[in-house]
Amino acid sequence: MQKKLALYILVLLIALIIIAISALFIGVYNFNEPVIVHLKSLFSFEEIVKSSDTYVLYDLRLPRIVLAILVGSGLSVTGTCLQGIFKNPLASPDLIGITSGSILFAAITIVIGAYIRPFIPEVLHYFMLSIMAFIGAIITITFVYRISTKNGNTNISILLLSGVAITALCGAGTGLLTYLSTEEELRNLTFWTLGSLAGANWYNISILSVVIVISFIFLIPKGKTLNALMLGEKNAAHLGIDIEKSKKQIIILSALLVGTIVSFSGTIGFVGLIIPYILRLVFKSNYNFILPLSALLGAILVIVADTISRTAVAPSEIPIGILTAFMGAPVFISILLRYKKNLG
Amino acid sequence: MIVAKNINYGHKSHKILDQVDFAGEEGKLIAILGPNGAGKTSLLNYLANEVEMKKNFTFFKDKLYKDWKSKDLAQHKSKFSQHQQSDIPLTVKDIVLMGRYPYFNQIPEETDWDAIDFWMKKLEVNHLREREYVHLSGGEKQRVHLARVFVQLENTIDKKLVFLDEPLNNLDIAHQFKILQTVKEFTTKGNTAITILHDLNLAAQFSDEVVLMSNGKIVLHDQPTEVFKEEIIKEVYQFPCKIVDNPITKHPYIIFG
Repeated sequence: MQKKLALYILVLLIALIIIAISALFIGVYNFNEPVIVHLKSLFSFEEIVKSSDTYVLYDLRLPRIVLAILVGSGLSVTGTCLQGIFKNPLASPDLIGITSGSILFAAITIVIGAYIRPFIPEVLHYFMLSIMAFIGAIITITFVYRISTKNGNTNISILLLSGVAITALCGAGTGLLTYLSTEEELRNLTFWTLGSLAGANWYNISILSVVIVISFIFLIPKGKTLNALMLGEKNAAHLGIDIEKSKKQIIILSALLVGTIVSFSGTIGFVGLIIPYILRLVFKSNYNFILPLSALLGAILVIVADTISRTAVAPSEIPIGILTAFMGAPVFISILLRYKKNLG
Repeated sequence: MIVAKNINYGHKSHKILDQVDFAGEEGKLIAILGPNGAGKTSLLNYLANEVEMKKNFTFFKDKLYKDWKSKDLAQHKSKFSQHQQSDIPLTVKDIVLMGRYPYFNQIPEETDWDAIDFWMKKLEVNHLREREYVHLSGGEKQRVHLARVFVQLENTIDKKLVFLDEPLNNLDIAHQFKILQTVKEFTTKGNTAITILHDLNLAAQFSDEVVLMSNGKIVLHDQPTEVFKEEIIKEVYQFPCKIVDNPITKHPYIIFG
């Protein structure tokens, strides 16, 4: 069985690499050299390529694809982990309000930060933004958890409704800031509400990589814990699992991931809902399988969505958040329909 | 093996356990009996370390629970709870495998699979291995969790302890007997089982000691022959009964009504 897991990981990894490389060469720009030459140079490190080609490949598309991989895997692992601790397939960072909390805090940083921005170096901008978004995420997730969980049991209606309430509140806050902001800030703010990977650069990629590596070291091996939680917290404790510690780790790291991701790419909604849903169709809720696989499948989904977003109506772009929402909403509805079936 | 003194446990002003003392020795099958609301489950939960660690002064193998490493503890004792989740979206095998979580990190080893095979066959759930748990009947689910609880104690450690809260719910007569025989076999190897039962005759037949509870107190903790006396049982259950000798096993046999 574990051999099968290794096989699935390998298959998805190969798929991810193929899709990432293909996405690198899909777009409006016409290359001077044929694709095969670039591919050769990619693997032989020879610099034979004309400069405008390399610019498009390595300064525009590559960062964007790397960011897509990081964002996709981060969001879907977060969704999977949250579903594990809330014991419900609907818990995902956007539906329970965490994303909107981070956006509000990021918006505050942008509008207020405009005054101090000229005085600090660019790397710190990204740091500030992600730290503030993280703070917004941690506040909302703690609030939502406190309000919807009693003695380890989560009431899913309260969870989702408090998500709605938080989203409304944070949306109002963000709206107010939009109203107060200057035109350039405004463009930044709409970018967040619809999501985009166009802001990819090596600064935010390096910050996000560090966050992802640290979080995944703790989160990916949590399969056993999340499986055991399905027995109920007390029974899980009898299996020698430190529930409180694991929950704290998951909540803090999820907030860190969502905060950082949102501050760099805005709301790319539903990724944390779609990916675990697809994997559950095949692997039931066995988190030993769906945790590592969600990291890979999430990356694939976001690369594909981003490639569509920048090519479908070229030279303009469809915001990627719109695409993922088109995929996510039907998933949301089909999960609801399953509840209806259980009503009898 | 397990000692707890002066247990007080309550919910708001209502006392659920009132100055209870309990001690259990190794190699015994101890049955906890009593009418509804007597505090049986609360006592079992307390002894099994489900009550806040800091307030729990149970000594298990001469050590307070808080001084144990949680993984070690999970290899020495396990618990079967009365209410099991009925909607776990996993295959049966994945649920039984959870019993081995204290033993492996990411990848189960050969010994883990052997333990699972052994107990799934023993509790007659091996044919359900690949089935989805949610589609099983109540009795089958019950046996799956019992398998998980025993799989957890499949190791070379001496003197293990299993807690069972009404393990016979939903089971047919044959399986009720088979489970108790399995528990008995477990205790004859020097392990201890503390189990809540409702069937007094099964308790009389299988247990080494009986703990009779009423209103948050232990009325009697003794051998079955000492506990199963007409006046005691009548008083505790507030219901008329006759006690005779079981013609086959010679254990006390209780007839209510």
